Amino acid sequence: MSFSIKRLMAIFQKDLKDLYRNLYVLSTVLLPLVFAFIYGRMDEVPAEIQFFLVSLTLSMVGTFLQCAIIAEEKEKNTLRGLMLSPATLPEILAGKSLVTVVITIVTLLLCIRMAGFNPDHIILVIVGIVLSLIFFLALGTWLGLVTRSVLEASVYVLPIMMIFGMSNMFIGLKEDYAFLQVLEYTPGLQLVEIASLTDVSQSWKPLLIIFAWAAGAVILSVITFRKRSFD
Amino acid sequence: MSSIIEVTHLEKVFGDKRALQDLNFQVEQGETFGFLGPSGSGKTTTIKILTGQLRKTSGEAKVLGLPAEQLNKPEYRKRFGVVTDNSGLYQRLSIFDNLKLYAQLYDVPLNRIEEVLEMVNLRNEQKTQVVKLSKGMTQRVILARALLHKPELLFLDEPTSALDPVNSKHIHTGLKELNKLGTTIFLTTHDMSEADYLCNRVAFLHKGKVQLLDTPSQLKKQFREELIQVELRDGSQLELPLAPASAAELQGYLAADQVETIYTKEPTLGDIFVEVTGRELI
Ligand SMILES: Nc1ncnc2c1ncn2[C@@H]1O[C@H](COP(=O)(O)OP(=O)(O)OP(=O)(O)O)[C@@H](O)[C@H]1O
Ligand SMILES: [Mg+2]
Repeated sequence: MSFSIKRLMAIFQKDLKDLYRNLYVLSTVLLPLVFAFIYGRMDEVPAEIQFFLVSLTLSMVGTFLQCAIIAEEKEKNTLRGLMLSPATLPEILAGKSLVTVVITIVTLLLCIRMAGFNPDHIILVIVGIVLSLIFFLALGTWLGLVTRSVLEASVYVLPIMMIFGMSNMFIGLKEDYAFLQVLEYTPGLQLVEIASLTDVSQSWKPLLIIFAWAAGAVILSVITFRKRSFD
Repeated sequence: MSSIIEVTHLEKVFGDKRALQDLNFQVEQGETFGFLGPSGSGKTTTIKILTGQLRKTSGEAKVLGLPAEQLNKPEYRKRFGVVTDNSGLYQRLSIFDNLKLYAQLYDVPLNRIEEVLEMVNLRNEQKTQVVKLSKGMTQRVILARALLHKPELLFLDEPTSALDPVNSKHIHTGLKELNKLGTTIFLTTHDMSEADYLCNRVAFLHKGKVQLLDTPSQLKKQFREELIQVELRDGSQLELPLAPASAAELQGYLAADQVETIYTKEPTLGDIFVEVTGRELI
């Protein structure tokens, strides 16, 4: 049986409806909006803050939401039922990814509306954001496959939040803590790098770095997926 | 008749624990087959192996003519339905929305949802959120979900364990109906009267093996003690051999109008269960 868009959409609709009533996950996911609202009240929102909001949204929504809605299916024994139905795991994961992508984009747009976002080289930055979203989504999928409950997911996602969601903030401390320089390579800071280029022809480098993150995360989740046997 | 399930020398070992050893039985197309046994005897394990959710250790298990491991391939999943004790529902969604998802996954028209809810007596609760349901209601929704796509073969792992007698009866009627329409049912239960009522044949599982397999009436005949029980009007009880030799004595009591009740001692499936497995139901 081939991949079915109809089944993917059925999962998508179900998850969207379910999420609407899932206050715990929803409130975590909407945290970036609170930040955006607060920062948005400043007269002029600094570019670093705007990039920070983008990274935060990508990690909170892209990774945590994806991970939580996969983990919950295991926690509540609903994945077993799905796996006994004609739905395949790729269809289930794709349906969930669609939910995550839609909510991420909506959250990003709302953040931008409140806090603004007008970097240079906007098209290249958007390409970078799309690649980053793939990275965060694949990371969330991988975490969802290895965690067993929403609570576990909330714990595992913390370091990811700190590293990838807050890198734009922590990088300010790199003068004092040299090891923080590695954060320069996170997708969040590579986006800043793209915007600050004087020579656009050099943009392949940050884009390649983000692409490498995305490819790495996709490979990781595919390997885990293949190894996974749902007893 | 052809076998829809064929199990030969099936074995399942968990770590150092042998849950099933040398399990052998066949289920024929169109029958309701009762799989009975004490708690921990391996009923759920057998269902998991038969539905491709768990790997066997050795032996053979064929379902719908296919090796059971292949049953978890999406193209075969429409042919059977499963109700187990750990089937989950989406707690925040309504009964209807839970069933709607499955109707879409199985490619079944949405008006089928009303039909299955009618079967489990929940038609008026469609809009209720699952989190607000009682245990028995949840169990009925899970059963309804398994019936949506009209499977040829239905695995039911204790489908009425949380139900009151009225709802059990309603479901029994529904299952009989379903079976009449051609669905083969593989049923585990701790309710021996349920097994007696629903099953064409029952197997008793104990120590990882099928100890006994036959129709309920045949088993009852086989386990019948050849005795006539007589209760006299003065309250005394007698047991006479069920044989010509008892005729004179019996006739004497009858002629003297001393007999209150008289019957041959019929064992229930529960009695047979205790006899075969050596312990009470849990
Ligand atoms: N995943 C597992 N790992 C280890 N042992 C297991 C596992 N699943 C089942 N067992 C063991 O296998 C045996 C059979 O269990 P099973 O659940 O099949 O029993 P059952 O007949 O369904 O019991 P019940 O009537 O209580 O539902 C038990 O001793 C159980 O401890
Ligand atoms: Mg069991």
